Amino acid sequence: MAPNKEEMLDMYRKMLLIREFEETVANLFSQGQIPGFVHLYVGEEAVAVGVCSNLGDKDYIASTHRGHGHGIARGASVEKMMAEIFGKIDGYCKGKGGSMHIAAVELGFLGANGIVGAGLPLAAGAAFANKYLKNGGVAVCFFGDGASNRATFHEALNLASIWKLPVIFVCENNMYGISMSQERHQNINDIADRAVAYGIPGVSVDGNDVMAVYEAAAEAIKRARAGEGPTLIECKTYRFRGHFEGDACVYRSEEEVNEWKKKCPIQRFGTSLLEMNIASREELDAISAEVKEQIKNAVEFARKSPYPDVSELTTDVYCD
Amino acid sequence: MSVGIIANPASGKDIRRLVAHATVFDNNEKANLIRRILLGLDSLGVRRVWFMPDYFGFYQRVLDSLAGRCRLALEARLLDMKINASQDDSRRAAEMMAAAGVSCIITLGGDGTNRVVAKGAGNIPLLPVSTGTNNVFPVMVEGTVAGLAAGLLATGAVEPEEALQRTKMLVIYINGRPADIALIDAVVLADRFTGSRAVWDASKIRQIAATRGSTACIGIASVVGGLRHIGPAEPCGMHVIVGSPTGDAAVSVRAAIGPGLIKRVPVVAYHLLQPGQRIQVLESPCVIALDGERELRINAGDSAEIELSMEGPWVVDIDRTLAAAAARGVFREHRERPAGNK
Amino acid sequence: MEMTYSQAINAALREEMKRDDTVYILGEDVGIFGGCFGVTAGLIQEFGPERVLDTPISETAIVGSAVGAAAAGLRPVAEIMFMDFMTVCMDEFFNQAAKMRYMFGGKVKVPLTLRTVCGAGLGAAAQHSQSLEAWFTHMPGVKVVMPSTPADAKGLLVSSIRDDNPVIFIEHKMLYGVTGEVPEGEYTIPLGKADIKREGRDVTVVATSLMVHRALVAAETLAGEGIEVEVVDPRTLVPFDKETLLQSVEKTGRLVIVHEAVKNSGFGAEIAAIVAEEGFDFLDAPVKRVAAPFAPVPFSPPLEAAYVPSEEKIIEAIKSLF
Repeated sequence: MAPNKEEMLDMYRKMLLIREFEETVANLFSQGQIPGFVHLYVGEEAVAVGVCSNLGDKDYIASTHRGHGHGIARGASVEKMMAEIFGKIDGYCKGKGGSMHIAAVELGFLGANGIVGAGLPLAAGAAFANKYLKNGGVAVCFFGDGASNRATFHEALNLASIWKLPVIFVCENNMYGISMSQERHQNINDIADRAVAYGIPGVSVDGNDVMAVYEAAAEAIKRARAGEGPTLIECKTYRFRGHFEGDACVYRSEEEVNEWKKKCPIQRFGTSLLEMNIASREELDAISAEVKEQIKNAVEFARKSPYPDVSELTTDVYCD
Repeated sequence: MSVGIIANPASGKDIRRLVAHATVFDNNEKANLIRRILLGLDSLGVRRVWFMPDYFGFYQRVLDSLAGRCRLALEARLLDMKINASQDDSRRAAEMMAAAGVSCIITLGGDGTNRVVAKGAGNIPLLPVSTGTNNVFPVMVEGTVAGLAAGLLATGAVEPEEALQRTKMLVIYINGRPADIALIDAVVLADRFTGSRAVWDASKIRQIAATRGSTACIGIASVVGGLRHIGPAEPCGMHVIVGSPTGDAAVSVRAAIGPGLIKRVPVVAYHLLQPGQRIQVLESPCVIALDGERELRINAGDSAEIELSMEGPWVVDIDRTLAAAAARGVFREHRERPAGNK
Repeated sequence: MEMTYSQAINAALREEMKRDDTVYILGEDVGIFGGCFGVTAGLIQEFGPERVLDTPISETAIVGSAVGAAAAGLRPVAEIMFMDFMTVCMDEFFNQAAKMRYMFGGKVKVPLTLRTVCGAGLGAAAQHSQSLEAWFTHMPGVKVVMPSTPADAKGLLVSSIRDDNPVIFIEHKMLYGVTGEVPEGEYTIPLGKADIKREGRDVTVVATSLMVHRALVAAETLAGEGIEVEVVDPRTLVPFDKETLLQSVEKTGRLVIVHEAVKNSGFGAEIAAIVAEEGFDFLDAPVKRVAAPFAPVPFSPPLEAAYVPSEEKIIEAIKSLF
């Protein structure tokens, strides 16, 4: 069950890749090179990577407006993702989706989503399809603490629990729904408590500890594949950046942000790998250098890719 | 005449809800429990109750919920401390309560919560109420009753020697220096990460050190209990060397290592631990689980030892306390007869 | 073969479920209960609860899960018991189903059929009687189907289920008991093809759903007075068959549009605009719309009767053009 060295290094690499991707996007956005809105995943990398490292070919994920990390963790190409965020034709969605709608259905990535909480019933449906087709696949839905107040959360958990769907609801509790702190937006602290209402297991884990997330996801997926139904996993985490790029973050203190930065999931995992004699400093440095190169190439790729032709404006509205 | 309350908002939600069959203990239910504790304390005239601040806000919630129906005579106060939503909050709160001179600290949590509180409480007794998963140290008790017992001690209606019992503990040394404690068990695991913290994979267990052994418990203490019962007051503990699942251990013990999780644990050897006796941790690198939670990482090249100590935290024995009070007539009232009526 | 509108829909569902294992039905009370109007009766017995799924009263989860399942390779037929309830699953339909293909650069198909029920006539009042089809014609990515006869219902539903796009298939509750001739065996009616329900040379009446039947009664009455009415049933609003509309108006020079939805921003406005933009020269008279007043559907029987366009109102509108 425990990942081997190669798998752990791959997890470390993916977390770094997300971090580098997001920080690069932040830079490019501030320089005006990226249009629209971007919501970055910096600080939450352990959740996407801890969960997706357990998934196979038939499995689906549904994501959020903060979806870049989920796509990368699922194995999406950073070139095509970057091109999409630039609005270019070589992006995953030909530049028609952008950051908030980036998707790669061929990888089982059912898309980022501009509507908070929209992914829950979608994932329940994808899980239903896997169950119906008896292919052993599961579906994972990532969503935030804010989404746990939406009707979609309650309806999807209820449906999934009565139909015993192979779905794992992964709540990334980063303590804020946009500007509303959790204590202001719900009368509970542990979203895992809500599992009780649907008669399913609910667990709360340290979302900044990739191995904690990995273990919980592994067990929930095992349970789902065995036909025992859905699980709610709450990962306590924090976004280092604002809700969106350009957010002045007036609703939280610098001190709080700095406290959480000390709990950086990538640093923590790197330190563990070293202290536990799993990897050497040289190995980790080499990964870091490769990742930087990969993201540099992704930006290059995105820049070189052309914008979609205006003739693309009305294609893909319908299937023929 | 004061009492402390430390409620762990994080207890009762770990991965054992998934890998075992534990139930979620939601925080609103813990708040209900605290409300009943306060009413118990108040009824005996306890003057002041100190609360640890926490991210769920038990203090404010409990007081708000009591504001309408019952006016408390006691004064509830929040410790002036910054919280990090980590277990260290509980340790520091216990230190502050001890400094404030509380008669006892009522804890709401599991074994893990009490382990941390014990680190800060010094000689202040604990009254541990179970709201966790593996609960050997805390007891399942109605909040009102817990409040009454703490109140009897705080108001002096019952003497400490009637109410208190000293428990054992294990001290973990890393490279010769004390690093941490466990109240019930310390388990050496062939693992590299603390991960989701709980212990459910019996095949990773290499050594067990325990202060108690009882098959009436959930958790590793039940493995020990399967070999020999060791009571909370008995002046010994146990050390078990666990075999690999495929190895040729002559004995295996069937034990409830988690709620609904009954496993066979192969035993290579076991012996009683005497007070002050230290055992060597044989695996490195490894992870040591304390009271059911993977807690300490022993890095490659570090050495670790575990010692049985008889100087664990003092605990309020609820049954004995209430019985002593009843024997003294604390709960009894005599109505005065009208004059002239013999 | 003669059957009711309801039986025709049931037959289409049965045939498509037999033909394609990925077709399944979900909705409130569609299984053991047989559907609120009995349309899915017998299907759970034939196909089992794995393919005919009773859901909780959770429109959001019904449509949302159907969208996810469609994107993951199934062909769901979801039922929303009353069209009025589309308001509680609008995000799932509008922001998810309708846009998914476009947002994903054409890399996904969402073959979802959403059956729902419109119309007044049962005294069900303001929240169970509305005709909201115009909303869905404002959603790029969605097809909108409104059959008026048993034969159309069957052929169009088969096409809707086989279509790779999200389709909203709007049934009228007052049509379920209407009988008509339905062709034997498997057949389809293409989406986007209007049907001329009655030919005439003097005036074109475009009517939808239940209003097709009232227009036909009006046409019959007026035939006796020497006015030959051509009744055009678009059958699908998206895609819309402009050719048939424009050819008919070119022939007759007059246009009356009849729908049960309120007149303001109803689909009649779109039809009138098409003719104004592309067939203005064909017109010999102003375009007339006959539709419900700008008010919620009332409960009281005489009010409800007055709310829905009647044959008399259609006749009056037609006559005003001469």
